[in-house]
Amino acid sequence: MAYKPQYGPGSSTIAENRRKQMDPSTKLEKVRDISDEDIVLIMGHKAPGAAYPTMHPPLNEQQEPDCPIRKMVVPIDGAKHGDRIRFIQFADSMYNAPCQPYQRSYVASYRYRGVDPGTLSGRQIVECRERDLEKLAKELVGTELFDPARTGVRGSTVHGHSLRLDEDGMMFDMMQRRILDKKSGVVKYVKNQNSEPLDKEVKVGKPMDEKWLKAHTTMFHSLVGTAFRSDAEYVEYVQRVHSNRTKYGYRPEE
Amino acid sequence: MTDAKYPQVRVVTERLLNPDTVERIINLIVATGGVRRVILNGPRIPAVVSVGPAKGSRNIHDMRKIIKIGEQDVQLEVHVGTIVLELENRDFIPAIREACEKGFTTFSFYLQEGRYMKTEPSLVDYAKYGPDADKDIIGLAEPGKSGPVILQGTK
Repeated sequence: MAYKPQYGPGSSTIAENRRKQMDPSTKLEKVRDISDEDIVLIMGHKAPGAAYPTMHPPLNEQQEPDCPIRKMVVPIDGAKHGDRIRFIQFADSMYNAPCQPYQRSYVASYRYRGVDPGTLSGRQIVECRERDLEKLAKELVGTELFDPARTGVRGSTVHGHSLRLDEDGMMFDMMQRRILDKKSGVVKYVKNQNSEPLDKEVKVGKPMDEKWLKAHTTMFHSLVGTAFRSDAEYVEYVQRVHSNRTKYGYRPEE
Repeated sequence: MTDAKYPQVRVVTERLLNPDTVERIINLIVATGGVRRVILNGPRIPAVVSVGPAKGSRNIHDMRKIIKIGEQDVQLEVHVGTIVLELENRDFIPAIREACEKGFTTFSFYLQEGRYMKTEPSLVDYAKYGPDADKDIIGLAEPGKSGPVILQGTK
């Protein structure tokens, strides 16, 4: 019988959303249009339209050792061209943000090749070859994984995940990289993820409403969203992992 | 430091406050006449970018503003989320609550009575500020930095 991944336990909408985001056979719902130029501006690694700087010659121009693994693994586009490795990093508010740091790493690992995702307490970074990164960053920002108010693209000084929201519903940002335009209701980035002011504002659309966020979030929250304890299957699963880990250490054989 | 005989309250809001909201609410609170000390608490907003390629450049931030409390200008260095107050006596608490109810209209808040200011310098204070630090302001402001603001004409 072929192995069919389950992605995660749970019977709540949160659990369902988590599985949906992780499963690469499910297409992520596109919510907003972000141009290639905009995503390059937000990340701030190079000027829009500039050539990709390289860190080694293209693979077809350099001598590759005779290695069966290298023959088996098809290099991603950026690796073929010898691009630099660059990153995009997200901070997600615990007030019903559509994605969250641990989930993001699962999503990146299941959905993309040649990426190095890493989760820290309140942020998540994805490292990749530059031209491939631009493609996946566009998807991460343009789809249901992102909300202009509750998610932030932040290279450093990411504090905000566990804080109360601002009066206008935006997640706290020490560097105020993005602001909510009161007139149009659209969120625009005025600094790139490294807090460098942008020459041109980058619009990322209107914040999603509370109802949409509650229906699409992958984070449990007993006050503003779905309580973890309301999902009995999830609780049972976590308790089982905890019990096995405590009783049997690294060999959880029942 | 603070004298333990004075009652203290703190006002915690559902949202982090904009500078104009802080200005409005703090003036309502100060107008009650029973406030001895105030701490505006919240996550810090630095004046300059401290890390990354933009290190050293000015941090342009709408929440880092100068507000006016009474006749006094106060530079906000945090995004205010909690207001800690030391009062002359407990009789002023209902008036403070009333001021908050008048000031916070779009989101909720709660007001608690307890001890929220330092009464003794901690070991960390000694390590940070040394033996000669001004003990009167530890717990209220950082000795050696901008220091506290004294509001004139409230008595």
